[in-house]
Amino acid sequence: MLKLAFYGKGGIGKSTTVSNIALACAEKNLKVVQIGCDPKADSTSLLLRGGKVEPVLEQLRKGGCFSLGEISRTGDGGVICVESGGPAPGVGCAGRGIIAALETLEKKGAFKEWNADIVLYDVLGDVVCGGFSMPMRNGFADWVYILTSGENMAIHAAANIAMAVGNFSSRGYAKLGGFILNKRNVKNELAKVQELAGDFNSSITGSLEWSPLVQEAEELKQCVLTAFPASPEADSYRALADKILAQVRKEG
Amino acid sequence: MRIAASVISIHSSDTAGVCSALYELGGLTVVHDASGCNSTYATHDEPRWYAHGARTYISALTETDAIMGNDERFIDNVVSAAKDLGDLPFIAICGSPLPMMVGTDFNALGAEIERRSGIPVLALHTNGIKSYLAGVNQALCALAERFCRDGLKKNSRKVNILGATPLDFSVNGEVENIRRILEENGFEVNSCWSMGSSLEELSSAGAAGVNLLISSSAKELAQYFEKRFSIPFVAGVPVGRAFAACCIRALKKAAGDGESSMPCLSERTPAGDAAVIGESLFASSLCCALQMEQNIACHLLNPLEKEFAFMHSNEMNVPDESAVAGAFAKVSRIYGDPLYAPVAAAEKCFIPVPHEAFSGRCFRKKMRSLCGKDLKKEFEIC
Repeated sequence: MLKLAFYGKGGIGKSTTVSNIALACAEKNLKVVQIGCDPKADSTSLLLRGGKVEPVLEQLRKGGCFSLGEISRTGDGGVICVESGGPAPGVGCAGRGIIAALETLEKKGAFKEWNADIVLYDVLGDVVCGGFSMPMRNGFADWVYILTSGENMAIHAAANIAMAVGNFSSRGYAKLGGFILNKRNVKNELAKVQELAGDFNSSITGSLEWSPLVQEAEELKQCVLTAFPASPEADSYRALADKILAQVRKEG
Repeated sequence: MRIAASVISIHSSDTAGVCSALYELGGLTVVHDASGCNSTYATHDEPRWYAHGARTYISALTETDAIMGNDERFIDNVVSAAKDLGDLPFIAICGSPLPMMVGTDFNALGAEIERRSGIPVLALHTNGIKSYLAGVNQALCALAERFCRDGLKKNSRKVNILGATPLDFSVNGEVENIRRILEENGFEVNSCWSMGSSLEELSSAGAAGVNLLISSSAKELAQYFEKRFSIPFVAGVPVGRAFAACCIRALKKAAGDGESSMPCLSERTPAGDAAVIGESLFASSLCCALQMEQNIACHLLNPLEKEFAFMHSNEMNVPDESAVAGAFAKVSRIYGDPLYAPVAAAEKCFIPVPHEAFSGRCFRKKMRSLCGKDLKKEFEIC
């Protein structure tokens, strides 16, 4: 089972990218689970055509007696959609929530039960506390991919995440797979992200061109691979998925 | 108000359970917690503290270290303490509410401490919120996974006692009574988890033909041994004479046919207007003994985590004071820790059965020793 975590600054396009990668993997007849690690619980909404799945933490709040069927839904491409959920804005501890949600999934034997080929973690924003590093921990993700554009704030966030991965290298946590450039067409974008990747002895695994078609698909509450499967943008996601799969399989 | 306790106490925490389970085994146990005071875990809940040395330490976690995620100080201090103590068979690290909230990764810290010290580390995931049952279960299973040897020759006469800690049995000779009962009936005690046995003796647990499970605090250990070594277990505390005889018959049968059994449940039917409240395996066994020897029909009330409980499906969980009060109102006679007495109405017959994990040392001198005893002499009928 391959387990990949995707990090990056809020609004950089993680959920859109991860959902399209999930579909690209599903097209290869791989069984895919996508786990949203964000209190907003909207990582999988495109796979569910705007629908929702009951977050794990919501079930925990109700008492914790639930089956896996109650915290997962099958979305487009047969992708199993799960959301950690979290507290309402301004209260509680979202990081601790992610820990509790992932520990609950493990305790309930979810990963064995799903028997997936690939698990994708779509993680909220920056690694601001221990909870947000949970998907990197031993037993969860094996590889971390960081999404960024050439915008300075996105690069700063990406650098912080890469630093966190490096800090945990002695703990057997996930390794840095690479950076994914989600272009915003800013000046010297490629060079800036190449420099960032070089600073961490890494590389750009794949690039996605900015395209209004992605927003059009979102208006339809669908992934690009579902709404416009024959488009060049869909092929870009497929190519990115191919590169990631090839890389993690090669490096074990 | 629900989930509130205005009269009763709470049970010892999972952290105290870890400290108790590992107390006699010579390892260093470090609780990652604020303050430098370890009396919460190692004195109030630990009767052996006064007579035996202990290696229970507190990390003295500071607010700044918690906020900044400074795990390095914890690792350094544990490694340093281990070197000072020398000759440690293991180090156990466990948590409290603060590390739980900041998401401390005990597996990662344990691996790093083991790498630097060269000493086996048991990384235990306590949070101070669960009961001692969770802590003891976890500590004993971690010990078994790390130290029990494979390939030992089985002997059907050998029995392991599982779940012996002062939190359930104090230090009033009750565990020794259980040993004596077993030996008088042709069994040899192979190991006792974890009072009165060395780590070396525990590591040979796989040689036993059967396990006697005497507390739900070792339920997961019994299941682990069943799976790993195919050792069946018998769930029952040999309280009184008649039920002790039942347990012995069940042990002999299990040692012969390899099938686990739960006489604490199979030997009784919940009924009547008497109730026993407390740790479920002991309470269930006392229900059996009272039914057999005093013809008192009882049912148990379980105040602890349901996942560890030994109870019939129509028996009640009483997780908070209001549930306890409601359950007490339905019966006329109650057996339980004296701290429950104020919850019962004055006209109820309340028979004190002190429980260290609930009232600590408050009633230690009045702890009852019931295993193999004539219950008629122990309990007066109200």
